[in-house]
Amino acid sequence: MTDPNSIPAPDGPPGLALAARQPAAGASRKAAAATAANFTSALPYILVPVLFILSLTFIPGYFSKGSIVSLLILASLLGLSSLGQTMTIIAGGIDLSIPAVIGLSDIIVTQLYYRHWSLPVIFLAIAALAILIGTISAVSSVLLHVHSLITSFGMSLVVSGIALEWSNGQTSGAVPGWLTSGVSAIGHTGPLPIPLIIIVWAVASVLAVGFMRLTRIGRETYALGANPVAARLAIVRSTWTLVVVFSISALCAAMVGVFFAGYSGIPDPTVGEPYFFLTITAVMIGGTSLLGGRGGYLRTVMGALIVAELTTLLVGVGFNASFQELALGILVIALTSSYGRELKVAARI
Amino acid sequence: MNAVAEASRLVIDGMSRSFGETRALTSASLRVRPGEIHSLAGENGSGKSTLIKILSGVLRPDAGTLTWEGDVRKHLGSPSGAQGLGIATVFQETLVAPEMTVRDNIYLGTDRLFRYGRRKGEEVAGARQALGYLGLDGLGLERPMWTLSLAERQLTTIARAIIRPWRLLILDEATSALDAHHRDRLFDYLRLARSQGKSVLFTSHRMDEVLGLADHITVLRQGATVATMAVSEASRRGILGHMSGRADIIEVISAGPGPDGAARGDPRRRPDAGPQAGPRPVLHVAGLALRATSAPITLEIRAGEILGLAGLEGQGQVEFVECLAGLRRAASGQVQALGEGGQARAVHSYRGANRLGIRYVPRDRRHEGLFGPLSVFDNFAVTLWSDFNRLGLLRRRVARKRFEEFTQSSRLVSASPGRPISILSGGNQQKVLLGRWIAMRPRVLVVNDPLRGVDANTKEELYGLFRRLAADGVPIVFLSTEIVELLTLTDQIGVFHEGSLVAMLPTETSSDTDVVAAMFGDGERGASRNGANDG
Repeated sequence: MTDPNSIPAPDGPPGLALAARQPAAGASRKAAAATAANFTSALPYILVPVLFILSLTFIPGYFSKGSIVSLLILASLLGLSSLGQTMTIIAGGIDLSIPAVIGLSDIIVTQLYYRHWSLPVIFLAIAALAILIGTISAVSSVLLHVHSLITSFGMSLVVSGIALEWSNGQTSGAVPGWLTSGVSAIGHTGPLPIPLIIIVWAVASVLAVGFMRLTRIGRETYALGANPVAARLAIVRSTWTLVVVFSISALCAAMVGVFFAGYSGIPDPTVGEPYFFLTITAVMIGGTSLLGGRGGYLRTVMGALIVAELTTLLVGVGFNASFQELALGILVIALTSSYGRELKVAARI
Repeated sequence: MNAVAEASRLVIDGMSRSFGETRALTSASLRVRPGEIHSLAGENGSGKSTLIKILSGVLRPDAGTLTWEGDVRKHLGSPSGAQGLGIATVFQETLVAPEMTVRDNIYLGTDRLFRYGRRKGEEVAGARQALGYLGLDGLGLERPMWTLSLAERQLTTIARAIIRPWRLLILDEATSALDAHHRDRLFDYLRLARSQGKSVLFTSHRMDEVLGLADHITVLRQGATVATMAVSEASRRGILGHMSGRADIIEVISAGPGPDGAARGDPRRRPDAGPQAGPRPVLHVAGLALRATSAPITLEIRAGEILGLAGLEGQGQVEFVECLAGLRRAASGQVQALGEGGQARAVHSYRGANRLGIRYVPRDRRHEGLFGPLSVFDNFAVTLWSDFNRLGLLRRRVARKRFEEFTQSSRLVSASPGRPISILSGGNQQKVLLGRWIAMRPRVLVVNDPLRGVDANTKEELYGLFRRLAADGVPIVFLSTEIVELLTLTDQIGVFHEGSLVAMLPTETSSDTDVVAAMFGDGERGASRNGANDG
């Protein structure tokens, strides 16, 4: 999808093109600085195969379709829930309501399907609710002049309150069989021997990357996150942009909630809780800056794969859950501190 | 030297100070005697503020000596060091703690680890006395600072300075927010202090204050002292001539510019500035009063005209361009864009102004213009997407073509448009920010000091860019803090003073002395020339 003549978007995988364009004479230091900057920003793309090879080396019998599909299902759940998060962070905000929306959506599917509602109606209701939640987070942040950190957190409390109230005492629920197989390692999608969620994630990834690079609102998201004051003066539609990215974020979370319902089949409003920090971890490891305006979804795809691989690797060699968190924490600090080093003044033209 | 020092409270000699490449002070000298009110004068950027910061201990000079009451020093160490010597300073910005009370603000910085040695009653009495001198007898001492008016806040910062034992009081544009009554009370107090042998050093943008209050005046230009004289022997024009560096032509100018008609005629670009003939008016400013107290401005900006705007810091010129761009509402009056057929549409908002083709380039590149992490091309194209999209999908090819067009016409140095904008120099960044709007084919371009921090070569290129744009019929409103720039580029220069447009000077027949005179409110010539406020 990348035309060689087109202008590379700032989130694109850094290639050698940049280094090759450096003038050969009298610019070796500039070239070295640029190469170093390229190397750190290419790290996530390197880590994905490296961690995979480590898993193959240290976990006996790891190279099988079953284990790779399991890995991808794990990555898909995280990748989908981080999709909208990437966009809200690029826009200079953050969405803390993702776990709550996952929980609510899980409840709605299991409860309403149990009561024999038709699936299209259920999905439409969930989508409408997600858009409403995202819009409220975004609009209240604009109207009240507070960071979306606060409004989405408030939204999160409201949504999880509703989910808890609704699920109170309920232990029975139901989901369609195809949804269960959609998140199972032996699931099929039509003729393909791949579970539905992986296909959904792949399609969503292509759409998200294209959305950020090729649409007006995608570019406005970057501008808004890079400098909100300048964005206003450059007639960027700030409110509309925030409404769109927060709605996308809530829609993605709702989708993940539906898949989680497929996992267990019973209502569980707390199912999204780990995603409070995991989405932010995936975004940060990929190299999207919390400062806004930098990064992209392709990076978060790598981030989600890295988190899934690292978790699998650590479990495979026998470390427990607390050690996994510790390793993720170290990785976040090590990687983010190496990103975003801007070129020195001496290297300017 | 010694004899001089003995008769002086403060002597500055050969003082210099640089900030990186910028030489703010080159060789400043100054002598303040006991029992004297001394005025420090100079244009924007002449080094006044730097010198005052050195005298208040905020900055240390690179070279030069400072003799305080006979002691030769290299610097004053720190603000509290300067205070300890008896130097009290009131800065231009009213520095207050808004949540604290008036009394706490007045006594700010006088405490040690704990408040001790001072009773509340003493504090109240001291504060009352200081405020009383300044005509604020009735001000509640326990009111939080943020509830005060700007003038009251400014007077409170002066009170803060004068409750300390001082022998030299420095006032840096400290009267800018005061009305006539409070200013007179302050001046009475300063004269009283003078009679007690104390010294005052002040800067002011009002020439009448300088002439009415000061005993001596020292003029700085480009970081150096160019004249020191007794006010009784100085003339208005003499002072202005020293400030603008054109003392040699003062006499010629004060002989008068000749009849009005001759001054107005500009053979080169604007054959006749009369309302009927000449290029089509594009923008109409109708009775725009920037502040409640300022005179309404009525003027027309015509196709291809470059209108310069000048004024000392905070005199209304920035508010004016913000009104043109729809970023600010004036106290009264309107800005109207005139269509081809002459129909007028008022500017109500920034977005509205943009729909009418009025494009604004802000002053602060870094905070209001640039998208630091984004590429050169993204920075350029951000404004284009509103027009160049099909159902929300970008029409990159058209935008790319506009970018190439602009790169060539502006000689933008940029090997690859995909690299971050932060690798460009300030001048090239400015080109991209201008290009952002030029590519949108503006009907009016409003630029707020666009050449600040731009190197000389790039400046020349940007002049060329503005001239070509004007030749294509786009009027440009060009605010600048550099008079030379205005004289080089513009057709006429509107000068602001205290919120009003006080002069409209045709560039062809004006000198920088004329501009400086108008900036200091010496509008006798400017106003008579080309009735700026005739609306």
